[in-house]
Amino acid sequence: MKLLLVEDDPETAAFLKRALGEAGHTVDHAATGHDGLLLAAGEPYDVIVLDRMLPQIDGLAILRTIRASKVKTPVLVLTAMGGIDDRVEGLEAGGDDYLVKPFAFAELLARVNALARRPPPQDTPTRLSVADLEMDLLKRSVTRGGERIELQPREFQLLEYLLRHAGRVVTRTMMLESVWDFHFDPKTNIVETHMSRLRAKLQRGTSAELIHTVRGAGYCLREP
Amino acid sequence: MFRSSSFRLATFYALAFAFAVAVLGAVTLTTTRAALARQFDARIAAESASLAREYQAEGMIGVIQAVRERDATPGALDFGLQAHGGVSLAGRLAATGAPKGWSVLNESEGREAPERTRILTTDLPGGYRLLVGDDLGRLEAVDSVLFQRFALAFAALVLLGAAGGYGLARGVHRRIASITGTAEAIIDGDLSRRVPTRGADDDLDRLAVSFNRMLDRIGALMENLRQVSNDIAHELRTPLTRLRSRLEAGVTGTGVAEREEVLEAGLADLDAILGAFAALLRISQIEAGARRAAFRSIDLTGLARTVVEAFAPSAEDAGGSLALENEAPLVLDGDPELLTQMLVNMVENALRHAGAGAAVVVRCRRIEGAAALSVIDNGPGVPESERARLFDRFHRLEASRSTPGSGLGLALVAAVARLHGGEASLHDAGPGLEARVTLPRLAS
Repeated sequence: MKLLLVEDDPETAAFLKRALGEAGHTVDHAATGHDGLLLAAGEPYDVIVLDRMLPQIDGLAILRTIRASKVKTPVLVLTAMGGIDDRVEGLEAGGDDYLVKPFAFAELLARVNALARRPPPQDTPTRLSVADLEMDLLKRSVTRGGERIELQPREFQLLEYLLRHAGRVVTRTMMLESVWDFHFDPKTNIVETHMSRLRAKLQRGTSAELIHTVRGAGYCLREP
Repeated sequence: MFRSSSFRLATFYALAFAFAVAVLGAVTLTTTRAALARQFDARIAAESASLAREYQAEGMIGVIQAVRERDATPGALDFGLQAHGGVSLAGRLAATGAPKGWSVLNESEGREAPERTRILTTDLPGGYRLLVGDDLGRLEAVDSVLFQRFALAFAALVLLGAAGGYGLARGVHRRIASITGTAEAIIDGDLSRRVPTRGADDDLDRLAVSFNRMLDRIGALMENLRQVSNDIAHELRTPLTRLRSRLEAGVTGTGVAEREEVLEAGLADLDAILGAFAALLRISQIEAGARRAAFRSIDLTGLARTVVEAFAPSAEDAGGSLALENEAPLVLDGDPELLTQMLVNMVENALRHAGAGAAVVVRCRRIEGAAALSVIDNGPGVPESERARLFDRFHRLEASRSTPGSGLGLALVAAVARLHGGEASLHDAGPGLEARVTLPRLAS
C-alpha cells in the first residue's frame, strides 16, 4: 500500500518509515504540515498517517483542509494528547481513527491495514464468510460447514468485526473500542477470554482453527 | 485615592451639581430682580396716578397739600410739582428738564454717596408737571441681599457636596483597595488570602464573594496540580527504578534469550508506567471538571449490563462469578464513557481483591432520589479504618502491595463520582466489601 506519513519528529518518522516499509508498504514522509498538505492533495494514497501536533500548522487544520478539498483518503490521527475530548475532536475533524502516543508499532500497523479500503463491495454485504464459516447479517445466524452455531449477541458482534477485517490483524484495543465501546485499557484481558470462548464455539470436531493469535499484536481471522 | 475612579466620579457629580444649582440660582435671581423692578415702577406709577386724580378733584391746592403730607411721611416716595418754566411748587424733586415719562436722575452734589432716583414725569393740565420718583438704591439693596444669601447657600452646598463625595469615594476606594491588596498579596505568594466581606450583600460584597470563590477554585486546581506532580515524582519513581535495574541487568547480561526476556519484561514495565501516567492524567482531567459538557441521558443499568457481560467470562474462568442483580432501567445525566470506566474499575477491583472464586454482584438501585451503583464481593473485606483512604491516589493496602495494580483505580472511581455530583464509599457487606457510588443526577 502507498502511505503518507506526516510526522515532524525525525526519529519517530524514520522508525515508522522503516517499520512500515518492512511490513510491505511504500511510505512518503512529510516533515511539515505544509508538505503534508501538498502531498495529500496531489497524490493518491491508500492511508494517511497524520501527527496532530505539527510545527506551524495544527494537524487537525490540515485534516480539515484535506477533507474540504474532497480528498477521501482514510486518515489515522496520531497524538500525544490522550484527553477524552481530543479523540472526539480528531474524529469530528474528519479523522477515521485515532491513536494516542506512545503506541506499539503493531497497533499502528493493524490500524493502518484496517483503514485501507478494499475493492468496493458490490452492495452492502448481507453475508460474510471465510472458508466454511458463514455469517448471515440479516438472519443474524452463523454456520460452520453448514452447521448452525449459537452465539451470544456480543460474540456475534466480535465475530462480525473479525469477519469484516478477515485476513488482517485486529488488536485487542481495536476490538475493545468497536465491540464494547471501551475507550480505555482494562487491566483484565477480557478480549482474550471472549476470544477463547468464541474459538471453542467455532470449533467443530477436527475442523481447522480460523482465528489465529498474532503474537504481540492481536488476532487474525483467515483461512487455515 | 485622588486618582481612583470613585473619587473622579464623585468630583464629576459635585461639579455637575454645582453647575445645575448655579444655573437655577441665576434664573431665580433674574426673575426676582425683574419682578422687584416691576413692583418698584408700579408703586411710582400708582402714586403718580393718585396725585393726578387729586388734581382733577381738588385742583392745584389739593395736590400741593397731598405732596406736602406725603413728604412728611417717612418711607414715602419723592415728589416734585413744577409750574411752567420749571418753578418748583412743592416736593423735594427739583429735576428740571426731565423728559416726559420714565427717567433716572443722578444726584451727586452735596452727598456722600451719589443717589440715583427713578422718576416718572407726567404733565398735568394747565402746564404743570408732576414728578414722582423713588431711590433706586432701595431696589439695589434688596438685590444685593438676595445675591449674598444665594452665594452663601451655594458655597454651603458645594462644600457639603464635596465633603459627601469625598466620604463616598473614600469608602468605595477603601473597599476596592482591600480587593487590590488581596490580589497583590496573592501575587506575592500568600495564596490563602481572601477578600474581607461586610455581609451587606451590595455589589462590592458580591464582587468580593465571587472573587473569593474564584480563588478557592483556582486553589483547588493548583492543589490538584501539585498533587499530580508529587504523585508523578514519588510514585512513578519506584516502577521506573525497577525498569532501570532490569535494563541495566540486560546490558550486562550474556545470553540472547536472557536479553530478549529482559526487553520483554522492560516493555511490560514501561506499559504499566504509561498506564499509570494515563490514569493520573485522566483523574486530574476529571477533577478539573472540564467534562460536564459531555453529559447526556444514559441508562445506568444498561451500562452495567455491558460491563458485566464483558467481565463475566473472565470471572468464571478464574473460578468466580459476576452477575447483575437487577434489570430495571435507571436513567441519569452523565458521561457514559467515564461511568463505564468507573464501573470497570470497581468490578476489576472486586474481582482482584476478593481472591480466587470471588462471587461479585453489581446492583443498580434508587436510594433517596439518587442512583446507587454497588459492586459487592464476598472477599475478606477491608477494615473500617482503612476504607476512606483507599480512594486516595496510589494508596494500597499492605496485603495487596504484591498484586498488580497502580493504586489509581479507586481514585478514578471517586473522581468520576464527584464529577457527577455524587460520592464513592466503601461498606461492610458482611462478609466482603461493598463499593458504592451514589449519583444524584437522576433524569426526571
